[in-house]
Amino acid sequence: MRLNDVAFRYARRGPWILRDVTLELEPRRIIEFSGANGAGKSTLLRIVAGIMRPRRGAVGGRPVRVGYAPERFPADQPFTIAAYLGFMARMRGLSETAIRPWTERLALTPLLDVPLPELSKGSAQKVGLVQALFPRPELLVLDEPFAGLDTETRADLPGLLSEVAADGTTVVVSDHQRCLDDLDEVDRFRVADNTVRRSTRDEQAAGDGEPVVLEVVVAADEADAVTAKLRADGYDVRRPR
Amino acid sequence: MIALTRFHLYGYVRSQRALYPLVVAALFVVLMLVQSPGPAHGAELTVGTYGDIAAFMVPIWAWTARALLDTEPDVQGHLSALAVGRRSTPATAGLVAAYGANVVLGLVMLAVPVLQGIGFHVGGSAMLAGVALQPLAAVPATLLGALTSRAVIASPALSILALLGGCVLILLLSMGPLAWLSLPMIEWLRAAHHGEAAFTGAFPGVALHIALWSVAATAVYVWIRRR
Repeated sequence: MRLNDVAFRYARRGPWILRDVTLELEPRRIIEFSGANGAGKSTLLRIVAGIMRPRRGAVGGRPVRVGYAPERFPADQPFTIAAYLGFMARMRGLSETAIRPWTERLALTPLLDVPLPELSKGSAQKVGLVQALFPRPELLVLDEPFAGLDTETRADLPGLLSEVAADGTTVVVSDHQRCLDDLDEVDRFRVADNTVRRSTRDEQAAGDGEPVVLEVVVAADEADAVTAKLRADGYDVRRPR
Repeated sequence: MIALTRFHLYGYVRSQRALYPLVVAALFVVLMLVQSPGPAHGAELTVGTYGDIAAFMVPIWAWTARALLDTEPDVQGHLSALAVGRRSTPATAGLVAAYGANVVLGLVMLAVPVLQGIGFHVGGSAMLAGVALQPLAAVPATLLGALTSRAVIASPALSILALLGGCVLILLLSMGPLAWLSLPMIEWLRAAHHGEAAFTGAFPGVALHIALWSVAATAVYVWIRRR
């Protein structure tokens, strides 16, 4: 799949959000886009998925089966998880049995009869991931998939994405939380200054000078000492309540 | 497309938005029962009711269609479009679902006048025309609702103004020399209140007029959705 000289703006005379974007997205690879808030990552991902059309340039070779998980899954819908995913399966011409392995994998099975509006942010995010994953798409586009997930699923997701990519899928991800840093089979790109350029793991980690939130696990009796030490080094330390 | 149509309908019914037009329809049915015509002019007045219902329901159908189409969040619209694959399918499925809901609503409204028609021995062709007028008039009303839905007019305030304005404009235009531009509401009302023969005679022309209007409205809707 290839993006050729793609440019996008929302309004005819509005500012360009993206310009001169030329990219090759290879099958069996994970493509990670990083960048500051408002840099245009979500817009780029929607163009890649085919939800939005570029104002200029062209997108060629997009596979037929596309899975997309939005940054915020629209949980304000009057369905249970089972009913919702059942409808999504039928829209894809698939049986509801296609869903089960993915609800098991993402620990959603016990919640299948829960209405979508009653879900926590993390569980709603998982529904978004399941509906994108179960059709076994040739192109999988995930917008900030790690946001709001519980620690276990967040740790499991990079491995899951590697498996999906190994099966031949082109996986495109935007990731604010640096959860893909440990993976090697990742093509890294940075979205900044209204365009996209290839990047490295170190450059991604350096970011645009934005603060990054780290979780540090220490023994309870050492917490005060570590907090004082980090604060003395000039870091902002917040204790979970 | 069938799965997406059912998804729209299921979401609309479960969201309880379907209750509002049903309540309005139920009130109208009660009104029809209370104002039930006497045996002297029963057949004549019943045929008039067929025209009245279709005219009364145009704004209700448009409102229903708009509400049904706006039930789905925008992001879900994107997910559904990717699931069904074809770019045109979501718009078509939405229209079919909205039309289906409107036909059901029309059937609820028709139950009493059809029973009255049988009771007053209204002629078969007039009754058939009266029944056929409802699903026919529901088509342009559904399209009017679709043209004021969020996919076309993003602002809710502008959208509701466009819906109300559209309904008033259709009524006003159908009274004057530019009636050919509008739905033939006054034409079918007049024919229905002039007796069975006039209603049956006017029906083919009314049906053709509604069909042409619907084709034009569909073209506009498809054009806007493709932009």
